Amino acid sequence: MFSNMLSLWRIIKSAFQDMARNIGLSFMTILMLVLMLLSVNVLLAVDNVTKEAVRLVKDQVNVSLYFAADAGDKDIGEVRNYISEFPEVIDVKLLTREEVLSSFQNRHKASPEVQQALIELGANPFGPTMIIKTKEPGDYKKIFEAINVPEYEHFIEAKSFDGNEEAISRIQNITNRVERIGFGLSALFAVIAFFIIFNTVRVTISSQKIEISIKRLVGASTWFIRGPYLVESLVFTLVAVGLTIALIYLGLQWVDPYLTVVFPSGFSLTNYYNSHILYVFGIQAIAVLLLTIASSGLAMRRQLKV
Amino acid sequence: MINLKNVTKIYPTGTVALRNLNLHVAPGEFLSVIGQSGSGKTTLVKLLIVEERPDKGQISIGDWDIDRISFSEVPFLRRQIGVIFQDYKLLPQKTILENVAFALEVAGEPQKHIHQVVPQVLEIVGLHKKAKHYPTQLSGGEQQRVAIARSLVHRPKIIIADEPTGNLDTINTEEIIEILKKINEVGTTILLFTHNREIVNRLRRRVITLHNGEITMDQAEGKYVL
Repeated sequence: MFSNMLSLWRIIKSAFQDMARNIGLSFMTILMLVLMLLSVNVLLAVDNVTKEAVRLVKDQVNVSLYFAADAGDKDIGEVRNYISEFPEVIDVKLLTREEVLSSFQNRHKASPEVQQALIELGANPFGPTMIIKTKEPGDYKKIFEAINVPEYEHFIEAKSFDGNEEAISRIQNITNRVERIGFGLSALFAVIAFFIIFNTVRVTISSQKIEISIKRLVGASTWFIRGPYLVESLVFTLVAVGLTIALIYLGLQWVDPYLTVVFPSGFSLTNYYNSHILYVFGIQAIAVLLLTIASSGLAMRRQLKV
Repeated sequence: MINLKNVTKIYPTGTVALRNLNLHVAPGEFLSVIGQSGSGKTTLVKLLIVEERPDKGQISIGDWDIDRISFSEVPFLRRQIGVIFQDYKLLPQKTILENVAFALEVAGEPQKHIHQVVPQVLEIVGLHKKAKHYPTQLSGGEQQRVAIARSLVHRPKIIIADEPTGNLDTINTEEIIEILKKINEVGTTILLFTHNREIVNRLRRRVITLHNGEITMDQAEGKYVL
């Protein structure tokens, strides 16, 4: 591509000279790229926070099977094995009669009437409770239908699914909608980002179209003309991504303390960025670089025909 | 040196810019090409620097068949020809020194050679003291002298000057023509495309007259006659 290292050196020198002598335009180009990258990252952060929120809500939804006090270990074990075989089930937890009683007592320790009633009963009135978690809230219906058979009727006293059906369905709807909106917004931002970058580069090159044709008339090869723009694209991308990383980490210092309060799981966007920094910013840098190179190529096509 | 054989150029609008043009320019000649606006002068310049391609005929400059030259070879041909334009065509973001050096940089000349030759050429055109100025800081005449310096820095065998004095006053015009004459004296072929009657009359060199895309007059020591 280049006849020798001398040409490459001249191309790099020319690129830095152009950037320095068109400092206003260089600044505006970088500013536009930073604003675009910040928008993309805000969307990414919102998407992550939403996903974490939905995950938390999903996590809190489960179905409980309340067994009769006289339900045998064999029957309970059979139900447990049967439920566990479903691919939708991610966890099955069994609370013994004693654990259920203890939990009940804890919940009502401020109520002397309830405590008194338990004493009057004399024996533990509770059976074991099975808590089932599935991958998606919508899976509960399938599990519930599976256990709603006559063989289990006599030792499963109650199921808490009916009461949660509406909430589960609502969460499912919200999750789907959030995902759809997130996808739509991402697509919209990608289109906006493309036009911002394309037009920014086009304006930069249009302002230099006379120079490009002069260089061509003086005998410069296509790569000698295009080279500095490629180098400029690389520099603009690296500076813009670097500035974006700095601004995002600055912003995260302010946002993360709020997230820690909202999410007891210890979710933090800083952790997310730390563990995905190469992936997230690598993809963004490659995308911006390819876009700027493609835009500059398209924008200078006519001038290079001279 | 330069040969045009039955060259015809028709623009997409249907305008016939050049019609069966035949021309031979010998090495070391100083040829003036005159003609009214629309006579085909600019098209002839564009064909010689391969900004346009002929629809019919053959053009050769030295060993180059430029009607058949590939797109990637065009820069190499342009590095063999010096071109001076009416509007100077200097790079506004580069200094005078950088503008002249650019013609050598694109040809891959070593840095040492560039540092040596460019100041010498600027001295020839009398601008060595303004080497670090930008084009906008110079007068029209000075800018044209920079363009001349750029066109001759790579020692071309041919210089094509397209209305080089079109934007200049009388004093600057005289200076530019004197420089071109000196360049011609060392053996460089000069093709001067001009409207300027006085220059042509005083040069007393070969003159061809273009009219409606055809050569209507070819005088060995001619005058400005349309």
